[in-house]
Parts: sequence; C-alpha cells; structure tokens
Amino acid sequence: MLEPIKENWRILLLVVVVIGSSVALFAPGFGPEPAPGESASEAQQGVTNLQYGLDLAGGTRVRAPLSGYTATDVAFGGDTPGTVAEAVAAELENASVRNVGVVPEESAVEVTEPSVTESQFRAAMDASGYEYESIRSGVTQETRDETMSVIQGKINEAGLSGGSVQQVQSITGEYFILVEVPGQGRQEVIDLLEERGTVRIDVAYPDGNGTAVQEGALIQDDFEEIGTAAQSDRGTGAYVPVTVRNTAESGQSPAHAFQDAVAQRGFADAYQTQADRCGYNPETGEIETVNGDRNPCLLLVVDGEVVNSFGMDPGLADSMAAGSWADTGNFRLTTGEFAEAQTISLNLRAGALPADLDISGEGTSSSISASQGENFRTYSLVIGVLSVFAVAGMVFLRYREPRVALPMIVTALAEVYALLGFAALLGYPLELAVIAGFIAVVGTGVDDLVIIADQVMSEGEVNSQTVFDSRFRQAFWVIGAAAATTIIAMSPLMVLSLGDLSGFAIFTILGVLIGVLITRPAYGDILRRLLTVR
Amino acid sequence: MVAIEVPEVNYTDYSNRQLAAVPLAFLVLALAIIGGWVVATGAPANLGLEFTGGVELRVADDGGNAEQQIQTAFERQPDSVRTIAGDDVIVVTFQAAEDDPEGLANDLQDQAEAAGLTTTAVDQVSPSFASDTARTALFGVALAFLGMSVLVFALFRTFVPSLAVVASAFSDLVIPIAAMNLLGIQMTLGTIAALLMIIGYSVDSDILLNDSVLRRTGEFYESVSRAMRTGVTMTLTSIAAMVVMAVVASLFGIGLLRDIGIILSVGLCADLMNTYLLNVSLLRWYKFEGVAR
Repeated sequence: MLEPIKENWRILLLVVVVIGSSVALFAPGFGPEPAPGESASEAQQGVTNLQYGLDLAGGTRVRAPLSGYTATDVAFGGDTPGTVAEAVAAELENASVRNVGVVPEESAVEVTEPSVTESQFRAAMDASGYEYESIRSGVTQETRDETMSVIQGKINEAGLSGGSVQQVQSITGEYFILVEVPGQGRQEVIDLLEERGTVRIDVAYPDGNGTAVQEGALIQDDFEEIGTAAQSDRGTGAYVPVTVRNTAESGQSPAHAFQDAVAQRGFADAYQTQADRCGYNPETGEIETVNGDRNPCLLLVVDGEVVNSFGMDPGLADSMAAGSWADTGNFRLTTGEFAEAQTISLNLRAGALPADLDISGEGTSSSISASQGENFRTYSLVIGVLSVFAVAGMVFLRYREPRVALPMIVTALAEVYALLGFAALLGYPLELAVIAGFIAVVGTGVDDLVIIADQVMSEGEVNSQTVFDSRFRQAFWVIGAAAATTIIAMSPLMVLSLGDLSGFAIFTILGVLIGVLITRPAYGDILRRLLTVR
Repeated sequence: MVAIEVPEVNYTDYSNRQLAAVPLAFLVLALAIIGGWVVATGAPANLGLEFTGGVELRVADDGGNAEQQIQTAFERQPDSVRTIAGDDVIVVTFQAAEDDPEGLANDLQDQAEAAGLTTTAVDQVSPSFASDTARTALFGVALAFLGMSVLVFALFRTFVPSLAVVASAFSDLVIPIAAMNLLGIQMTLGTIAALLMIIGYSVDSDILLNDSVLRRTGEFYESVSRAMRTGVTMTLTSIAAMVVMAVVASLFGIGLLRDIGIILSVGLCADLMNTYLLNVSLLRWYKFEGVAR
C-alpha cells in the first residue's frame, strides 16, 4: 500500500503543489481583499484570484522623498521639545514653529518648510546653541510615519481600493514615500496628495431655547502650531496641544479675537467645575441639557462638517475671561481615547501632509490608463503563450521523442502554474516585470530538464534503478550549481530599490526554487518510469 | 522533418590560440565600442529615461494624423517619437528639464490634451533621482557578478577552470552592452534585469562543461562533445523563448519585455561562442599543459 507512494513521492508532491495552486487561483477566499463597501466578487479582477499591478491594471505610482532637513544627535540640555522648536524657529526667517519638529526619541530636530535651505538650517541650529552631530536631508522617522498615515487616510477616505503607501530606502540611505493608486490618473493622485480641506473652530451657544453658532472663531491660518496627540499626564485620556497665533498684520490678533468670543459667550460662567460638560448633539445640531445646564461648546468643523465638540476647563475659561490667555495662546483639546486624539490632530491638519512630497525635485511618477493596462494584460498573455510554444518546438525538434519531450513541456508548464498559484496566495500583484520573470523561468526550467534528460539517456540503456539514480544525481549537481548562480545573480535586484524590478527578481528566484525542489525531481521520476528497462 | 543536430566540432584541428582568438577579438571589439561611447557621450551606453530623467508620454493613435499633431502640439521639441503599430500608441520622450520636470509633465499633458490627443500613460523621472538609480543599478550588477564569481570558485576550487567560467561570463555581459549601443537600444531598468539574468543564465552551460570535463570519467574530447550536446540545446531553447518574446513584445510596444528579450538573445549567442571557444581552450590548456606543470 505504502510502497507506490514511497516510490513516486516526487510526482505526488508535484501533483499536490499543482492542486494547491488551483485552489489558490480559483477558490473563493483567496481573492484580493475587498475595499470597504465592495463585495468580494467586485474586488476580483477576471476569473482568477490573481491581482494585477499598475502596469497591467492601469493606475498611478508616485515615488518621492519628503522635503526637509534633519539635525541628528541633538543635545537638548534638558529643554522641552517646545522650547527647542521655538529657539530654532526664531533663527529661521522663512519658517515658523509649525515647520520645526523636535523628536526627543530620535534626538533629532527637523525643518519641514521646503524653502529652507540646508545652509540656512545649519546656521539656525548653530545660532540656537544646541549641539548636534550632523545635518542630513529628509525628515525624521516619526514624520515619515505620520505622513504615511495621513496619505493612507486620504486614500481610504477617497474610497480607492487597492491604493497603498509605503516607505522605501534607496542605496544612498534616502527614504522615499511610494504611493500606488490603481485606476486613477496621475493628476488626480497628485491632487489628492496635495489637497487640503478647510478646518475651523466654531462656538455654539444657547440662544433662547435653540442653539446659535458663531462660525469661524478660529480658522486654519490662526493656528501657529498643531501638536501631535499625547497621553494625558494625569489620569486617563489624551489631548492635542494647539497654539493660536498672537500676532496680526493689523488690528486684533487671532488669539485675542478668540479670547473675546469665548468670554462673550459666557464660557467662564458655564464651566465652574469639572462636572460641567458640553452637551452638543451633532445629529440635531442642538445643545442638550447636561447636569441641568445648557453650556456653550467649541466645535471642530472639517470641510463644513462638525467632527468633534468640546467643553472647556474652568481654569482656561477663567483666564480667557480675565484676558490673560491670549499672551500664550495655547490650549489642549482633550478627549477620552488616544486614538480619538490622533484623529483630532489629523482633522486639525485637514489633510495637510506633515512634510511636503518633493515630487518635482527628486520624485518620479508614472501612470497608465486602465485600457492601456488591459491591453498589456492581453499582450503579456500572448507573449507568454508564444514563448512556451517556442520552447516546446525546440524541445520536440531536438528529441523527436514524445516520451521525453512531452513530460518536459508539461513539467515546465506546471512550474509556471505553481508560480501563478504562489502569486495568488501571496496576493502579489502581477506586473510586466513579473511576467518577464515567468518567461525566464520557463527558459531556465526547460534548460535543466534538458540536462536531466541528456544525462540519464547518455551512456546507453537505463537498465536498473541504481544506474538511473547515479546519473540523476550527477545531473542534479549541475542543476543545483546553476540554480545557485541564478539566485545569487538575482538577489541584489530583490533588495535594491530599483522600481518594479524586485518583482522580476523575486519570481525568478521563486521559480528556480520551485524548479529545483519540486518540479525537476518529479520530472526525473517520470523519466525513470518511462525509460527504465524492467 | 527538420531536426536539431548539435554538430560535432573537431577541436583537434585548432590550437588553443586559434580557438581563443575569436572570442577575445569580440571581447576587445566590444570593450573598444564601450570605451568609445564613454569618450563620446560620457556614459558606457545610451542611457534611457530612468537614468537621465525626463518625461515619457504614450499618446493614443486613433488613426488620424496623430503623428503630425505631435510635431506641433508641444512647446518643446520631443527628443524621440516612436510609433507602436500593434498597440495604436505613439511614445513621445522628452529629456529632463533641469528646473522643473514635474511641471513639465503637467504642461506636456495639458498641451497634448489641448491638441486633441489622448495620453494613455505618463512617466516622469527627475534627473537627480535618475542618477541615483544609475548608481544603484551599477552597484547591483557589480555585486551580482562578484557573488557569481565567488560561488564558481567555491564550486570548482581550481583556479584556471573557475577563471574560464568567470571570464566567459564577463564577455557575455560586455558583448550585449556593445550590441545595445550599436543597435541604438537604451539602457533601462529592463536591460539591467536582463544583464543580471545573463550572469545567471550564461554560466549554466559553462558549469555543465566544466563538470563534464573535470568531474566525470572519460576522455577530454568525448566529455566536451557530451557537454556540448546538452549545452547547445539548452542555450538554443532559451534563445528561442527570448527571440519570440522580443519580437512579439516589440510589436505590442512593451519596451520592458522587448529589451529583456533582445539583450538575453544577444547575450546567449555570445555565450555559445564564449563557452565552446574560450572556455574549451582554457580547459584544454589546463588539462593537457596546466596540470602537468
């Protein structure tokens, strides 16, 4: 019972791999992850579970560094990040505190205003008196991560399924942000990336039995700095620190105007203790009664929609009523959850990236229309099929013996099929470069089968298992050596950031591995059964 | 019926010097061409968009007089205009603008639209990014070659036969680059991939030959002809696949696949010559004279 299995395990393994590939290719559940609001069958492209990259489906790829400079290993001398940022910003003419980031975890100070040159930043760092190791172009890890999450948020919000954003590092150590959006044109994607919403803070207050809203108590330009979300130092909860500008070209500064508006709406009277809360109901737009009072509220409005409402700390309300708050101009938007604070911070920025993508300076972008992508898909299928025919033709011409040639072609095809199964299983998007890899795999695959066939059939009849085995082993040494050189030659492409060529390298290497470990041994077994004289 | 019969070469008729002369002449010629290119253009090959920076537009050819429209549509003179018949597309390339390639891409797209042309794809590469890519690519090829050489020396552990493999792989790499220059093919990321592929592919037949001569029993010429029968078949099947890929892809205007196909075809042809002339002569010298010393 077990004997046939033991004897033919190589062939059986190949059969199992082929069946597994079929499952990965056609069974539901292995398909692409559907976007929100999309059904699984809509996410599927064509009859298989294969996913197609931009080349073959149409879409846009933008790859650019974030503009800015970073001073590394800065000695803060015990100063708070805020103090350091202010000191550096004060030395820069064309940047404000908003454009200077201080990251204590990385001991780094960065400037994200694109117009600041490296020498200006160096001069500012020297003048501010903080010791630093060196200045490099680019921004800090924290800013890169934050930028990525902002871009991801934009892609999700726009409902673009399959859109992705990632960081890649070039050989010179520079970081790039890589954004890929299927099905969208170049201009649309760049617009999406550069688009900024409008954000403002309104004051809602009770007006008789109803609710009145004073719009635009603070608008986007009024903020000098919008901090990142932070965990509250006492008790639970989180907050976003913001600073309102206390300078004005003419007339009242935004901080004073905001202070007056708050004082006028009676925040100081309404918020006496921590028990006084904001009862704003975003669905009705009315202030509801909380603990017997209808208190005025601050509303965070993004693109015309109220996204958060806030009450006010008694101390803050008092200092505004007394008129002393505007001198510093900072307050905290507090909330229960850290995640919510992060959203508020993102909302306040209204889609502005923490640092600009330098697409024109050092970036690349490419875009392919959907119809072009579809054409490429058909063409590459045609090219693949014709290449296989060419190889098959050569093999038949050489051996003129279907017993040898036919299994050879079938095995080579099984190799490609297994690779396609892998691609579907991993959800790796097929691109032109990957198709080239497939064709290369057919080429190398057949090469090695030729080695096996010639080796086994040379030196006369194969009249015993032992003779076959020894010849097969000899053939395998050459195949293993050849496979190792291919893998070594291809591996730099896999790790170097050279556009879409890593796909080519990955699939060539994967193909070689599948070939050496699974399909070529199986071909050996098939050949043995056909040739061994019993 | 036509059949492929690998011819038996009578190596005894030729001296080692005679055998090695042909591939060495090719190698010297190729190096001279590449050297000439460096002197004349400052680069070893015609660098493509990815290595120089610039903008490439694919414009739909809707049967009208799109090609004439292209001549007048843009404010800048295009650096090249290629028509791809199989795909009804015209590829228009502009070399990098020093100042603002991003703006250039937008402007060109707008100008094309204003002239009633439909752009189906836009590629834009900035010059500084391009030079970075060129450095990375060079580094990648060097690293792959080095890795291959180390592996070959580790596999055979004898100097001359290993050197024979590495030398013929080097020549396999240099000849296609020279051929690219002569054929006017630009160096792109696709051709870099193809060059790396040659490193992997072309040593197969050399390894087969060395294995047959050094590790098997049997007389020298018998071993060579045995390895040749297998090796030539292998290389020919690969060439067949690559030629088909190159021809069909250029009909359809898929530059990446066409470039990989052409480079590999040339490289594999060079490999046939290098393996069975250069490598064989070095091996014969090693077998009959080198070992005796």
